[in-house]
Amino acid sequence: MSTTTINGRVESLPDDPEALLVDVIRDRLNLTGTKLVCGSGVCGACTVLLDGEPVVSCLLPAGATAGKKLTTIEGIGDGKLHPIQKAFMAHDALQCGFCTPGFVVEATAFHRRWRAAQGTAIPSREEIAAALSGHLCRCGAYEGIYRAVAAACAGRFDGDDPIAPRVEAYDKVTGLARYTVDIRHEGQLEGVILRAPVAHARITDLDLAPARAVPGVAAVVSLLADDQMVRFVGTPIAAVAAKDRRSALEAIAAIKLNREELAAVIGLDAARREDAPVVFEKKDRKRAGNVSELNGAPTSWKGNVHGPSAPFSQKGKRARRLLAEAREACDPLLIEETFRVSTQQHACLEPHAAVARFDGDRLTVHVSTQAVHDTMEKIAKRYKLPRDKVRVIADHVGGGFGSKGSLGVETIAAIELARAAKAPVRIAFDREEELSVTGYRPAAELKLSLLPSVQGGLKALSLTAFADTGVAVNSMIAGLARLIYPAQAKELVDFDVLSNLPPGSPFRGPGGPPMAFALEQAVDEAALRMKVDPIDLRKRWDPDPNRQRLYDWASGLDVWRNREPASSRSGRYRRGVGVASGYWLYIWQPGSSIELAIKDARIIASCAVQDIGTGTRSVIANTVAKAFDLEPQDIEVRIGHSNLPEGPGSGGSRVTASIVPPTLLAIEKLKMEMERTRARPPIAGSNAPWRELIAASPDLVVSARRPPDSKAPADIKSPVRQLGLMGLVFGWMLRNFNNIVVGAGMPSSVQVMEVEVDTWLGHVRVLNAYVGLAIGKLAAPTLARSQAAGALIQGIGYALYETRETDPSTGQVLSASMDDYRIPGIADMPRLEVHFDETGFDHVPGGSVGAGEVATVPTSPAIANAICNAIGVRLTEIPFRPDRLVAALKGRAAA
Amino acid sequence: MNVTSTPAQAVAELRAAGTDLSERRRSGVSTGPLIDIASGRYGISWGDDGTATLGALTTIAAIAADARLGAAYPGIAASAQGIATPQVRNLATLGGNLAQRSRCWYFRNPGIDCLKKGGSNCPARSGNHLYGVAFDLGPCVAPHPSTMAVALLAYDARITTERRDGLTITELLGDGSNGRADHALLPGEMITKIVLPALQTGEHATYKRAISRTHAEWALVEVCARVEIVDGTFRFVRLAAGGIAPVPLRLTACERTLQGMSANAAVIAEAAKQATSGANPLPMTGYKLDLLQGLVRDILERLAA
Ligand code: FES
Ligand code: FES
Repeated sequence: MSTTTINGRVESLPDDPEALLVDVIRDRLNLTGTKLVCGSGVCGACTVLLDGEPVVSCLLPAGATAGKKLTTIEGIGDGKLHPIQKAFMAHDALQCGFCTPGFVVEATAFHRRWRAAQGTAIPSREEIAAALSGHLCRCGAYEGIYRAVAAACAGRFDGDDPIAPRVEAYDKVTGLARYTVDIRHEGQLEGVILRAPVAHARITDLDLAPARAVPGVAAVVSLLADDQMVRFVGTPIAAVAAKDRRSALEAIAAIKLNREELAAVIGLDAARREDAPVVFEKKDRKRAGNVSELNGAPTSWKGNVHGPSAPFSQKGKRARRLLAEAREACDPLLIEETFRVSTQQHACLEPHAAVARFDGDRLTVHVSTQAVHDTMEKIAKRYKLPRDKVRVIADHVGGGFGSKGSLGVETIAAIELARAAKAPVRIAFDREEELSVTGYRPAAELKLSLLPSVQGGLKALSLTAFADTGVAVNSMIAGLARLIYPAQAKELVDFDVLSNLPPGSPFRGPGGPPMAFALEQAVDEAALRMKVDPIDLRKRWDPDPNRQRLYDWASGLDVWRNREPASSRSGRYRRGVGVASGYWLYIWQPGSSIELAIKDARIIASCAVQDIGTGTRSVIANTVAKAFDLEPQDIEVRIGHSNLPEGPGSGGSRVTASIVPPTLLAIEKLKMEMERTRARPPIAGSNAPWRELIAASPDLVVSARRPPDSKAPADIKSPVRQLGLMGLVFGWMLRNFNNIVVGAGMPSSVQVMEVEVDTWLGHVRVLNAYVGLAIGKLAAPTLARSQAAGALIQGIGYALYETRETDPSTGQVLSASMDDYRIPGIADMPRLEVHFDETGFDHVPGGSVGAGEVATVPTSPAIANAICNAIGVRLTEIPFRPDRLVAALKGRAAA
Repeated sequence: MNVTSTPAQAVAELRAAGTDLSERRRSGVSTGPLIDIASGRYGISWGDDGTATLGALTTIAAIAADARLGAAYPGIAASAQGIATPQVRNLATLGGNLAQRSRCWYFRNPGIDCLKKGGSNCPARSGNHLYGVAFDLGPCVAPHPSTMAVALLAYDARITTERRDGLTITELLGDGSNGRADHALLPGEMITKIVLPALQTGEHATYKRAISRTHAEWALVEVCARVEIVDGTFRFVRLAAGGIAPVPLRLTACERTLQGMSANAAVIAEAAKQATSGANPLPMTGYKLDLLQGLVRDILERLAA
């Protein structure tokens, strides 16, 4: 047996030649700071130092490290914080933190080389980007990472430990933060799911016995639906729990099944054909999944097409007539175009994962989830368990973006296996599962007609969306065009086109980016034809007070004022500037509660909410700390456990607006309690009266629920009211079925992008991004900026690189690796200016609403408009890859 | 993802650093026996005549960072710098880079059969071949993945294995007509070293790839170019390209066109059109010809500047 030295300790290496270093580090040595994400050398999450040089441990056979020295994140800094770690904390160079250990390890190696060669000179963005080019961060913490690495190299963090704006930053930069995939109970088994290899079939026979006979297997359960149907490649069939992953894989390979194969149909175009095989027979339609966070309106079906759904049309027939007349009259202002957006995967770095464990009749489930409270309720309901016997825990969550909002098969399988095996079971999806069957923002075809009036107003708009939803329904894209740019008439129609592909799911601002991609380009085109400045036209057409202020800000930007028409650009590299606008709904969750306690002279805030990288802990800590003149670090925030007071789910940007108001209320209550119970008043002239009072206070507990908003001023409209009767119905449904309230005022974003197009290599680079955001007061300013930056870079990914690719005949997802599903890297992050407009939500207690979704809505059309300004050609299909750029430049259709 | 599928055939595979193989072991695409390369040649040595010999186990990072190699064979160093990511370059070896398997997403998907996995046809040809070849030279439409092979082709390198000596890149990788293999090594045959011939001339060379993001992406198209310009005219031009065919290709028509011509932008732009001579793109890969032209133009302009 050979040995290696890890963080100064000699460890033996397994003899198994197949053992990879990452698995040895994580599973045998329990050094879980090192993360496994892509397993293919792309993302860098598994980076460790091998004799001082960074290497990917996911590809490195463990045996190859014999006799060498390894350093993992746990060994960085020798017990103290390394300057890189301090800088990451201070500059908020992290969100969910799942990529952070890898970045930190790599950055320390760069720091060492840099300091040896360059002293305390400041490295350039390009130098930092090249050094960190082997790392991916899905949350998009790149801006903070640039700043952190530069500052650490310049010697600014050689001294004391900093105060981090994110309260859990220390745990994340040191690898201490434990995610679901890191949970290791005594006697824990590993679960693996057998998935369907074909896109459409009926399983006629499923024999699990051979799997049970495999040594090391403790439980096998069927996951097949009661109709025994497979409707997409990857449909769960059965799950196995075994002593290790290899035995579990062996067992699922042993499972015998017979199937009757059925004709499959793959994708938007094929599924709409007259003779297309049907995915759901009439009786099975209720089995379709839900791509939305909400319930859809009932609507009709025709073959694989679900729709039309047009609840938010406004004088739809009139719109159709006006547009037909304009078409007839060859109105030069009539804009008609078909746009296409592609499927975007969430690509969370922490995969969907669950660890279930029964202790007697009590069930504890660690889940990588966006909703601990709701997941607890769903589990209790599904398994008919009392709610106090179910505990759902998510201390840290490595990204969600909408994909971890519901009770998933990883959780169901882990629970059922744990029950059958009478032992704790972990299920963690592999990267292929993560990038194929865990949901996505559906691709869509968007047919748009927009007609300005002769007077320069907006006369009519028609938007019809066909969404490529796989085996799910309820996409709403077109309907969202109702709440921006009022017109005389609008026809807004949504269709779901089902095919034998995995189901789509909510993704950051569901429907928003595709809607904006089409509409904002059309408005841009209208401005060009009307020879009006695109921002001025928006100011004219869009009365929303939040966006009006953002338009004023955008008009004043130098980059906008100095912009030139497309006709003036020539040469190989062409720059362009584009603008786009977007909104999201302000929603909050009734029942959201906070408990504040003083215990042993320390304030503890508790809520069954979770932090998926969005900064929830810090929002609570900041709000409480501010009220008592304390530092956020002084507040102990307990979240991520379902047995705490009910908290909101992290979806729809509802968290801040749901938890800040009850926190403020609880603060008032706590202050009153302190007043009532205090032994003596604070010393006169004390400069920290609250600190003293807390130190002297007996233990106290108060709690508060989310109070309603106060009445908004007349110009701040409620979207529900703007939508008329349908809006009221919609609002009522949301409140009663989804437990969310749509409040008055619209979180808004106006973005200006400057791009450079390399016309020879079809390469688009976003040079500068100007993001204006109206989301009320900032509960945690640095983190709000991080959210904005993250939303922006995901929008850039959507616009330029990301697309799921499938095989048109088998329905296999081809892009199920991080090589082939391309998320932006650090060098793709533009220079960013964020402008926060903090007014507009004073009717919300605390004045803050969420930032997560709205900031990603206008990014792709702003880039499209900038490209159009650069090259004079409007690209109607994203992502704007090199193949599409070179085709557009040659006036050719891309493949 | 775990699906029931037919196992690939059981041919022993050699493992150097494992940067390609480990992923295929994990996914189940490679299931046969494994032979670790216990020892081998590492590092760069120099002959009296100026030839450089690279041990097959030399890491890509070492090649990218070697100052003397960078001065003598800048195209080799630049190519190495363009590969993968720093943490992969620190592990991956030159021999492994040459012998790596295809990146085709059908080949890498354990749930799909293809020529390279013993199947009867290439599913990418009738399926989704967005990243496929634009010079369709054989039944398989996946481009060859090795960047170092492109560079070594540009430098007329010779490859030595335990059994054979002096192989050219074309002899090592074949002509692209065998869709089942990514190289012509015999089972178990290990590359031991690569010899770069001495260069007489005062040439310039470099490498570049076209990708969609800024860094760390498999090349859509890549070109390694060497030129010697005397009195403003091309005396010697050598162009090798990857990402476009089942094997790296010399762009000989373009080389010929430039020979003896003056090294200016207009000449280069005209000659770059010859880069695509002989191409027969697939329905989805026509764009690669535009990228190839653009890349040749880009590189030659920089070398001529
Ligand atoms: S997990 Fe190793 S590089 Fe992504
Ligand atoms: S912070 Fe980087 S992936 Fe979440």
